Amino acid sequence: MSVADSVRSLVIRRPERAVPVILGALLLGYFLLPFVAFLSRTGRVAVVAGLSEPGARAAVRNSLLTAPVSTAIATIFGVPLAYVLARRSFPGKRVVESVVVLPLVVPPVVGGAMLLTVVGRFTPIGAAAAAVGIPLTDSLLGVVLAQTFVAAPFVVITARAGFAGIDDRLERASRSLGYGPVATFRNVSLPLARGAIVAGVVLTFARAIGEFGATVMVAYNPRTMPTRIWVDFIGGGIDEIVPVSVALLAISVLVLTAVQRVGRVPTVIDR
Amino acid sequence: MIVELDGVTRRYGGEPAVEDVSFGVAAGELVAVLGPSGCGKTTLVQAIAGHVRPTAGRIRLRGRDVTGDPPESRRIGLVFQESTLYPHMTAFENVAYGVAAREDDPESRAATVTEYLDLVGLDDQGDASPGSLSGGQRRRVELARALAPEPDLLVLDEPLSALDRSLRTRLRDAIARIHRETGVTTLFVTHDQRDAMAVADRLVVMADGRVAATGPPRELYEAPSTPFVASFLGRSTSVSGTLTGTNPLRVAIGDTAVRVDAAAGDREPGDAVTCHVRPRALGLRRDGDATRLPDDDSSTRATAGGADSARLPGEVTAVADAGRHYDVSVRVASGDELVTECTAAPPAVGESVAIELPEGGVTLFGPGFEPSTAAGSGPTPAGRPDDGTE
Repeated sequence: MSVADSVRSLVIRRPERAVPVILGALLLGYFLLPFVAFLSRTGRVAVVAGLSEPGARAAVRNSLLTAPVSTAIATIFGVPLAYVLARRSFPGKRVVESVVVLPLVVPPVVGGAMLLTVVGRFTPIGAAAAAVGIPLTDSLLGVVLAQTFVAAPFVVITARAGFAGIDDRLERASRSLGYGPVATFRNVSLPLARGAIVAGVVLTFARAIGEFGATVMVAYNPRTMPTRIWVDFIGGGIDEIVPVSVALLAISVLVLTAVQRVGRVPTVIDR
Repeated sequence: MIVELDGVTRRYGGEPAVEDVSFGVAAGELVAVLGPSGCGKTTLVQAIAGHVRPTAGRIRLRGRDVTGDPPESRRIGLVFQESTLYPHMTAFENVAYGVAAREDDPESRAATVTEYLDLVGLDDQGDASPGSLSGGQRRRVELARALAPEPDLLVLDEPLSALDRSLRTRLRDAIARIHRETGVTTLFVTHDQRDAMAVADRLVVMADGRVAATGPPRELYEAPSTPFVASFLGRSTSVSGTLTGTNPLRVAIGDTAVRVDAAAGDREPGDAVTCHVRPRALGLRRDGDATRLPDDDSSTRATAGGADSARLPGEVTAVADAGRHYDVSVRVASGDELVTECTAAPPAVGESVAIELPEGGVTLFGPGFEPSTAAGSGPTPAGRPDDGTE
């Protein structure tokens, strides 16, 4: 029986199932088709040779330096905030929650422009930093600033959902067993929210390493993989960008699987 | 006193959840805090444990004022209604977690954990993860975890509510046994009158955030101090009348005057009263029971000359088979319907019978008492077929 036959019989016998199947399949096809079409060009383009160019190697190195740093900053600053948002109520909490998602609703390129008005070369902060030899624009630090601005909300939102999913009686029990709030957070809340935090870290990393709009505004140089891809595309078309794009894709997929694996292993029971 | 509450009040945005609660728990006592859901008992025990800060009032543990202290400094073992075992630790590790906060030596720590797992009968389940344990086993591990640090007070917040009936009774017995063996001062919070009466030395009955009554379970059951306590602690039935004499106490019910064995309090003849009694305590006399049955004109006779009669003539309006007994509803002259429990073959509907008020066990309330006779709704009535208190 061909696919068409199966679909036809499904539509006739089970119309209530056919609708989501057909609609979902179309959407997934739309997702996959560009991947296939784009990756099929790898046959015609020398990926390894392309990546060994000094410019491409620098871009890969810059991205691999900045994205983990941005992710670490977002995690260190974001996870405690996520916990407070999940557990406490305080005046102005709604305002804080809106601020957390602000970078998500602002288009990255606009976010980058807004960052420039704070850390740009001719602003007080930017000028002061440049004066002591730490330029905040057109530097790796600038890349980190842009990536953190755009990507940090992901870890906050995801970790917050994770903390909120923990019954707060588990924490109360820990307090009554003799542990203070910090020890309780470390022993109970953090391990139980680990899955959600790891998911947030992965999302943040994926967003940071692929960040283009804000980065190009704050730090056009040094090139990261996304800015390099754009510059190459303007100069040479699709085939020119295949090597770096494939590398970016590969890194993202690698990190995703690796972190998910690490995040899951040692739990006594997996929920 | 291990615990002393002095005027403890907790309001949520002006709305009082707990209002002016004062009572104490002596060393080794097992006190049940009993009340319907929403009466504030969970807020109260969370205040005792330090997870909720009272708006007013003081809490003392072993004579020390701990009202503002955090939970970790209070030495209170807490068991919640839902399992709070840590899913990322084994049963052994869960118990050890509480011990480790106060005991540094790993060897004596392990010995303590083993001892308490043994106490709850789970010494062979130490390596099990909480997810692989049954509901009852999880409760036991939680008991062990709460007890192992040897707390001053064990607080059990509805520990049986999430369990099915047979498990419930077994765990209730286990709690009573553990209390006997360890002598730990225990506060047992429940909405279930049967659980409370089965295990507690003393009851604290709560209603609307306040203490409605305190006392030994049997005393409160047989001589409830308020209508709420009467209906909450078990099945109630009642009949309204007018007080006609106080010594001996007599009540006119419809056109019948009966002698009632109860305390009049400060009521005077002429006051409207409700006679409250447990259905199980009521006697039922059938027509044809030659010796003691009143004949058809018994009511007249009782009014006229039967000064010492404690019997109310009436007519059977309904008979329900409740398994171990029959619920027989009898309408008496005042129009009230009384429910009695009858273990022998019940009379037929429409039959003329007489209700016999017991010696003692009758409580007088003011008018307007609403009896709780419906099985299964609201407070769980005593005397059902599966009644654990019998």
